[in-house]
Amino acid sequence: MNKFYVLKRILYTLFIFAVVVTLCFLIPRLGVEDPCSRYYPAQGNMTDEQFEYIKELTRQQYGLDGSVWSQFIRYIGELFSGNLGTSYQSGNPKVLDLIADRLPWTLTLSITNLLISLVIGVIIGTYCASKRGRWQDKTLLNASTITTAVPAFFIALLLSFYFGFQWEIFPAYTDQNLVSSFGWNWESISAVAYNAALPVISMVIGGIISYAQSTRDSVIAVSNENFIITARAKGVSNSAVLYKHTLRNALLPIVTNVGMSISGLIGGSVVIEQIFNWNGIGTLFLEANNTNDYPLMMGIMIFTSAFALVANLVTDLCYSLLDPRVSLGGRR
Amino acid sequence: MKVLKKIGTAILSVLRSVGSFFARLWKHKQGRVGLIIVTFLILVALFAPLIAPYDPYDVTQRAEKGLTPSWQHLLGTSITTGQDIFSMLVYGARVSLSIGIITGVLIAILGATLGVIAGYVGGAADTIIMRLVDIMIVIPTLPLVIVITNIFGNSYFVIVFVFVLFGWQSLARIVRSQVLLLKNSDYVKAAELAGASKGYIMFRHILPGVSNLVIMSSALTCAGIMIAESGLSFLGLANATSISWGKMLADAQSGGAMLFGHWWSVLAPGIGIFLSVFAFMRLGLALEEILNPRMKRKSGLVKVFKHLNNRYLDELFASMDDGAAPFVQSPEPQKKSKRRGET
Repeated sequence: MNKFYVLKRILYTLFIFAVVVTLCFLIPRLGVEDPCSRYYPAQGNMTDEQFEYIKELTRQQYGLDGSVWSQFIRYIGELFSGNLGTSYQSGNPKVLDLIADRLPWTLTLSITNLLISLVIGVIIGTYCASKRGRWQDKTLLNASTITTAVPAFFIALLLSFYFGFQWEIFPAYTDQNLVSSFGWNWESISAVAYNAALPVISMVIGGIISYAQSTRDSVIAVSNENFIITARAKGVSNSAVLYKHTLRNALLPIVTNVGMSISGLIGGSVVIEQIFNWNGIGTLFLEANNTNDYPLMMGIMIFTSAFALVANLVTDLCYSLLDPRVSLGGRR
Repeated sequence: MKVLKKIGTAILSVLRSVGSFFARLWKHKQGRVGLIIVTFLILVALFAPLIAPYDPYDVTQRAEKGLTPSWQHLLGTSITTGQDIFSMLVYGARVSLSIGIITGVLIAILGATLGVIAGYVGGAADTIIMRLVDIMIVIPTLPLVIVITNIFGNSYFVIVFVFVLFGWQSLARIVRSQVLLLKNSDYVKAAELAGASKGYIMFRHILPGVSNLVIMSSALTCAGIMIAESGLSFLGLANATSISWGKMLADAQSGGAMLFGHWWSVLAPGIGIFLSVFAFMRLGLALEEILNPRMKRKSGLVKVFKHLNNRYLDELFASMDDGAAPFVQSPEPQKKSKRRGET
């Protein structure tokens, strides 16, 4: 792999991260409310001086005292020591702790979703490519027409309506005791799986079809290449052509798709989490939004962006490993 | 008189070309489906007060909450407020379609302008615009959208602004690559040699060359925006006072329509969203085939589906940005361009 290319990509990612951090610093300071006004709406029987003093203390707690520049420098410093700030929630928990509590739950959903849709999608896609133009292929095309036009949250609502409320097969709302009573034993894990069934199914439906569609597309594109025709002309068996020659090359573009899914692992399931009341980052973000908890919102934003940026970087590097033409300047 | 005649012939020629455009669209099977549904939805939105039996914005016209469908209320009444669901459905078309179409047009204008500037002017302008595109494509959009609506309020204007802000990148990228192709074509070179000014070439040769691309992709953008809008209003982040399909779904969910088995109040707005998105997608795909006949049917179709892949809201935004998909980023053209570079 081209070393210069790797370095360029890393520097570029760092630059974008700096932009995100600056945005996250600036946005809450663009004339939104002073956190003090929320905590001390009435002056009560305090004197003006006491009131000002308490306000000053509050500002210090949230890093809002001093000039904007000194705030910014402190903010960056805190960020390097892994502190994303203090939430406005009662008890003033650290933002990072809140995120760390919720992260495993979101990842449970999204990683399961990614694995299932990838594996089943690629299998179905390859199958449909081999049945090109027949009813299996047409069914896939129609299915992808429908799933692209229906928002995922509507599929989720329908699933929760029928499977959750009408037929009561799976829980429509996540059991909130799940989180507090979780332990690494069979009972807890099966309870999590039971509760996660509907959210995962509603994400997987669209996922499988989109992976199947792109696999089918790229398998067909590759099977028209000259080297496949050569292989067939040499008398290589059908299955060897499919698995050794076609699929290996056809899966290249899928790497990009997987990379995109990975960068959406944390922030991608907000609506689904909200519908099924799943205890993840998405619901945390919506709660923060409803209570105007800016430190928490910005913390989640920085965290998801960092995750997405790293995922993006890794995908690009993987892609250039698999397809060296990219790093040699073939792409742009 | 002469001036009038000139204006008359100009109008006539425009009408004729618009007419032949629609005639071609009508001949295309998918295009016809899209055209019929879109026209129907636009008519519904325009004449909403005539079609809807009640005015859902009028507090005095509310009935009992959560009524089941009857002749008085075709789809029953909403479980949270007692508004007539059929009337809400009709009025909801206004929000969905207008946000979709207005944003689609604005994105087309902004994306095409920036793409043409980046491609044709080149140099520093190109670098700045393309860096901006690259940055905005990798930043996760949904959290940022939520933050912006939180701070600047979620009025109609802000929602449209946010969608335009995060929606123009893909188009700019596609347009730029098309402009780069056109710029090196023989007829533009010939025009340059003949002494045509940059502005003349831009308006006479480059813009007509990319207009097909812009028209086609803005139909697909509309579809994408309508899904995104329904998602935002479902999360309660869009304007709370206006009635939209996403908000109707949110109301049905929060009011317990699922618990009481009121399937109509969930299904009706969902079908509205599906129908409008479906129609605009059909229209976009048909336009793609009509305006760009050289493109092979299967590959184009499939890539656009990939490009509009909307498993969840964030990915939708991501894929809207990454929409370089149909022409630029897909693996096939890459290889071809590489080969061209070698020879």
